[in-house]
Amino acid sequence: MSKPGKIDILTRVEGHGRVELVRKGRRIVDARLNLHESPRLFETLLIGRRFDEVAEIACRICSICSTVHKVAALRALEQALNVRISQQTDLLRQLAVQGGQIESHALHIFCLALPDYLGVGGFPALASVAPLELQQGLKIKALGNLIQETVGGRAIHPFNLLPGGLGSVPGVEQLQHLADQLSSILDNVSAMIGFVSTLDEGLPALPLLSACAVSGGPPLFGDRLATSTGVTVPATSAAVWLNERNEDHTHAKVSRFDGESVFMVGPLARLNLSKPTEYGKRLDATSITDSLKARTIELHQAVERAMSLISQLLNEGLRKETPTTITPSAGEGTALIEAPRGVLLHNYRFDELGICRAANIITPTAINQAAIEMSLKSLISVINDDGYESIKLSCERLIRCFDPCISCAVH
Amino acid sequence: MKRLRLAIAGLTACSGCQLSLLNCEAELPQLIEVVDFHYFPMACSPAVLEGEYDAALVEGCLSMPHENVLLLSLRKRSRLLIAIGTCAAWGGVAALRNGESRKELLQATHGSGRISSSGYSPQPLHAFVKVDAVISGCPPEKEELLRLLAGLLRGALPNPISYPVCTDCRMRENLCLLTEQSRLCLGALTLGGCGARCPSMGVGCEGCRGPVPEANLNEALDICQQKGYDRQTVIDRLRRFCPEWKS
Repeated sequence: MSKPGKIDILTRVEGHGRVELVRKGRRIVDARLNLHESPRLFETLLIGRRFDEVAEIACRICSICSTVHKVAALRALEQALNVRISQQTDLLRQLAVQGGQIESHALHIFCLALPDYLGVGGFPALASVAPLELQQGLKIKALGNLIQETVGGRAIHPFNLLPGGLGSVPGVEQLQHLADQLSSILDNVSAMIGFVSTLDEGLPALPLLSACAVSGGPPLFGDRLATSTGVTVPATSAAVWLNERNEDHTHAKVSRFDGESVFMVGPLARLNLSKPTEYGKRLDATSITDSLKARTIELHQAVERAMSLISQLLNEGLRKETPTTITPSAGEGTALIEAPRGVLLHNYRFDELGICRAANIITPTAINQAAIEMSLKSLISVINDDGYESIKLSCERLIRCFDPCISCAVH
Repeated sequence: MKRLRLAIAGLTACSGCQLSLLNCEAELPQLIEVVDFHYFPMACSPAVLEGEYDAALVEGCLSMPHENVLLLSLRKRSRLLIAIGTCAAWGGVAALRNGESRKELLQATHGSGRISSSGYSPQPLHAFVKVDAVISGCPPEKEELLRLLAGLLRGALPNPISYPVCTDCRMRENLCLLTEQSRLCLGALTLGGCGARCPSMGVGCEGCRGPVPEANLNEALDICQQKGYDRQTVIDRLRRFCPEWKS
């Protein structure tokens, strides 16, 4: 039978990429991230499609982030077409996005990242070395999916989230069931924060980078970008500020910010900017490698936020609503939102018939490429005496700290 | 029972079919007991193809030469090769503008810049290799994946589905969105097996599972037209997931 074939791709991440080590003489002097995922060209696929098709197609960019892509696309197109949505729809969308946050973080922590910290290859081995954590992690992950399914109709590519509203509004019992489940796992999530804080990162400490996150709205939502360097950018000029360009070594556009600055997006950036006091004691993040702790803390925040959204929805009473009727008109809209991995932007322009004429989608992993590159440089400068294989594994491990989502990045 | 040795790979896609498997949270601990996830880069390290596989589960369509190399290697090493999801089965969303020049689409997205243009218009697996079974859907239902694995463990493949989403709707006693509410629904032309997930929540079928065998396209287009949806609109919607639909 054929000889074994090692496939040179990053493992335990979504999508296709690899690390390329740069040698100078016998030493490794640099490492580059090559996202060689095939571009599906979503921005061009959307052109010529009617407004009511845009979110349904755009959410197919990525499965893990499909709910947040859908909500971002809906918000952008509703802005472009002057569509108002009810507060109930807004709250339910927020709930679905929190469900996505819970699922995505639980997938990363308990299936993709934990093997690094426990010295095994993947989730199947976790069943022997950390059965309890795997079991509890899967339970948390399942609940994130149940939230997305209850509101969006399906955990992946949620069809029930429509322009102007929802196909069906979930029932009181369904939301009550979610609330009960959420409150029953809150202690488990707290215990996981404790467990994760005892794990050894296995990488040298690497400096945090300047942080960038969405602000100006409820958690994960907003209308502008804010940075730890004091910059504020409104949604309408965010794409210009993010300054995406094509580069040779990756199929995803890269954000090259003004001057020399590099920004990270995602959990560490969000916590760094929001500095939630109740968690200050539990996370004094000083290194990129604290990302797993940051995700666990955000998991806790997402569970609490989902509970508070449900209680608000139940207190105000669920109304049977149908989506707002939409009359097509020319216009442009931009939505900013926090996806599990960081800042996500959707921008669309429609003609007077409601046909999409321009689309621009900027995803967190695309933005994070520059940050990953810079962190890889810091890492190489510390470990360049190690052997080739060992350096490569450390680089892959560092890249996993950013939980890259490569089909999002390349789309 | 002999453990099932699997290779699970994603090509040009969103990873949703592989995630659907990882979304079987309640069943995963049991699956770990009976399935060897030997090659599964999305969830397990390292990514090494080694020896033979009982089955290769492949998500996504092909659009880059290196994907052909991987697919052929998987085919050669695997007793069964199974297309998972609509992209693998039909091309899916990425194939939405097949028929137009790939180079021009690339330029429209990336400018005349430097991105590699070695890719080609997205194609389903069956354009290149023999496919032993298909699980359709964008994404497929978790239960279909579990049924597939249960079957494979006993050396069997699932029976292909041959009925439309309309059958699922009748089973659930839903009102017909198209004929009774004049809303666009592609259920009559679309492969069933999803339990009419979307129409059951009042959302018209978008055709994500691809064509049902022996679909009566002309009859369906006539009914849609009577309800105010012209033929081209319906065809465009169908082609969202399967470029083979033609008027």
